[in-house]
Amino acid sequence: MTRFPQAVPSASRRQFLAWSGGTAAATALALAGCSAPDAGATSAKATGTAAGSSKTLTRIGFDYPFTQLPLYSTLVKLSTAAAKQHDISLLTTSDAGNADTQATNLNTWVSQKVPAIVSFPMVFEATEAIAKRALDAGLIWVTYGGSLEHQSADIQFSFLEGGTLLGEAAAQWADEQLGGKGKVAFLTDSTIQLGRERTKGMIDAFTKNAPGVDVVAQEQAIDPDTGLSKSRAVLAKHPDLNIILGITDAAAYGGFKALQQAGRKATDARTFVGGQDGSAPSLLAIKQGTFYRASAALAPEDIAAAVVEVPRAVAAGKANPSAQVPITLVQRGDTARIDALLAQNS
Amino acid sequence: MTTATTALPTPRALAGGGLTAVRRNPLLMVLALMVLVFQLTTGSFLDAGNLRGIATDAATLAIVAVPLALLVISGYLDLSVGSTLALGGLVAGWLAGQQHQSPVVAVLGALAAGAAVGAVNGVLCCYLGLSAFIVTLGMLTAVRGLAQQLFPLPLSSFGSGFAWLGGSRIAGIDAPVFIAALVLLAGALFLALTPAGRHVFAIGVNREAAYLSGVNIRRTPFALFVVTGVAAALAGAIKASVLDSVVAGTSGAGFELTVLTAVLLGGVALTGGSGSVFGVLLGVLFLGCLQNGLTLLNVPTFWQQMAQGSALVAGAALAYFGPRLTR
Repeated sequence: MTRFPQAVPSASRRQFLAWSGGTAAATALALAGCSAPDAGATSAKATGTAAGSSKTLTRIGFDYPFTQLPLYSTLVKLSTAAAKQHDISLLTTSDAGNADTQATNLNTWVSQKVPAIVSFPMVFEATEAIAKRALDAGLIWVTYGGSLEHQSADIQFSFLEGGTLLGEAAAQWADEQLGGKGKVAFLTDSTIQLGRERTKGMIDAFTKNAPGVDVVAQEQAIDPDTGLSKSRAVLAKHPDLNIILGITDAAAYGGFKALQQAGRKATDARTFVGGQDGSAPSLLAIKQGTFYRASAALAPEDIAAAVVEVPRAVAAGKANPSAQVPITLVQRGDTARIDALLAQNS
Repeated sequence: MTTATTALPTPRALAGGGLTAVRRNPLLMVLALMVLVFQLTTGSFLDAGNLRGIATDAATLAIVAVPLALLVISGYLDLSVGSTLALGGLVAGWLAGQQHQSPVVAVLGALAAGAAVGAVNGVLCCYLGLSAFIVTLGMLTAVRGLAQQLFPLPLSSFGSGFAWLGGSRIAGIDAPVFIAALVLLAGALFLALTPAGRHVFAIGVNREAAYLSGVNIRRTPFALFVVTGVAAALAGAIKASVLDSVVAGTSGAGFELTVLTAVLLGGVALTGGSGSVFGVLLGVLFLGCLQNGLTLLNVPTFWQQMAQGSALVAGAALAYFGPRLTR
């Protein structure tokens, strides 16, 4: 009888599966051992809303859902270092930009009674119930990037303001360099709250301050690939496009490359590209004096400090523990600021 | 002697061949109709600059779609191409930008990384018989994690030498388009003219029968996994060169579904055993033209998503029912 080898002989496959299973189990046990909660952490109960009751935090859970963004690694690194200065260990989630995964991870932390949770909700309404459960369990809940009804404190950014700063700067440039005329394309995002706020701030500020500039496109793009292909298409129809504004630096950088590939000189005086975030490639382009002229930037060190200090302030019972992290517009000539931001991102 | 008649087909034969091509690839008709509508509504769709943009955007998709199509024809699947693309771009960018290696070394490094991912997929699926769907889905996540762990921060400024890969022109054609054309040609010739190409179909139709016919049912799909990994990494290196930057978390995200869509739209059966490189080319062009046309029309975001989804379903339905209706 001829044996049909669907795979290797079954004994080998069994051996492989046995080894794989054993290795996976051993790895899981080792990882579990590495992350086992310390006794001090479990005994540290903070009453988030009770001002005046001072508690010592030993653990903070930092839930930043957009793990695919470079900012995530920077924030985790800086926040871990900031926490370590106070003998606090920083826990993180791996939500991979998925709201369902985020909810699961947050529920796990609440049930494990992680004493302080700093969370950036992807869907604020959906997180309200989890935040309430956290407070009911005596935990500290800090909302990142907005406010919830149930929370101990929040860390605010005003994404609207970031968009507004960029829109105003671009409008002022259009007024000065193009006599208030020209063509603009917006690379936007309408899928999450952060994106909608940035988009609204950017478009409202620009159209209000530069009413003579034609808006020729509003395209969804948050990453450089999409920014590049959308900008290429817009440029095919409007080769005289002057301005591309992005809700992220990544998308705007794609637009920047599309313009260059269409033959625009990197220092063209009648072109303006701007984005938001303060990401390294964009900051370098601004510093080099190209037509990538502005970025509404957050300083990662400021955010990392807030991630640790706000829950500590709540635990210490301080009044008004919330924080507002400033967004600043970085433009050509802000060399010291650009260097500082690049150093934080390195 | 029949050489002359085969070399110079009559106009009637040409027309018949054209009709046959349309019957076999109904997507061709849909594509032509779509191009016509976009040209009439935008007035600039067929401009040379726009067509060049579509071709450049579609090039990386085609480079990965061809080997993936061969893999699907042989009855396997690779869902890890999006992460492999990111890894390839990062390795190439790191070598060119931070290690100051020559562009050739950078690209070879990327290809090696892609080959390694493909080899792991191939060993697990072809030699150990694990499910390609599960294995490559796992690799999609694992390779993305590895890429983010190795390169947590964006890489940029790879130098003018490396920019050649994505920005230069060869014989008047953009380098990525030229490379994609070579890949398409190689894929078509491989399928049509080589014994291994026929083995791909044989394995996809019935693996047991192929084995009993003396076909090595492990080696060919294994090689296709490796080639798919290499192609994805090459596409990543091209994208890194075009953008002069790579971000581990977002580069190539969702690419696996786009490329699989192009392959399936092109008439490749997910169950294996049938498909053509010409069909894949049509699938790639269909997606590229659709995306570009909707952007030119300035269609609002959510309407664009609805239109894209509807067009894909319509295209797939026509690809499925078309040949049956025209029989």
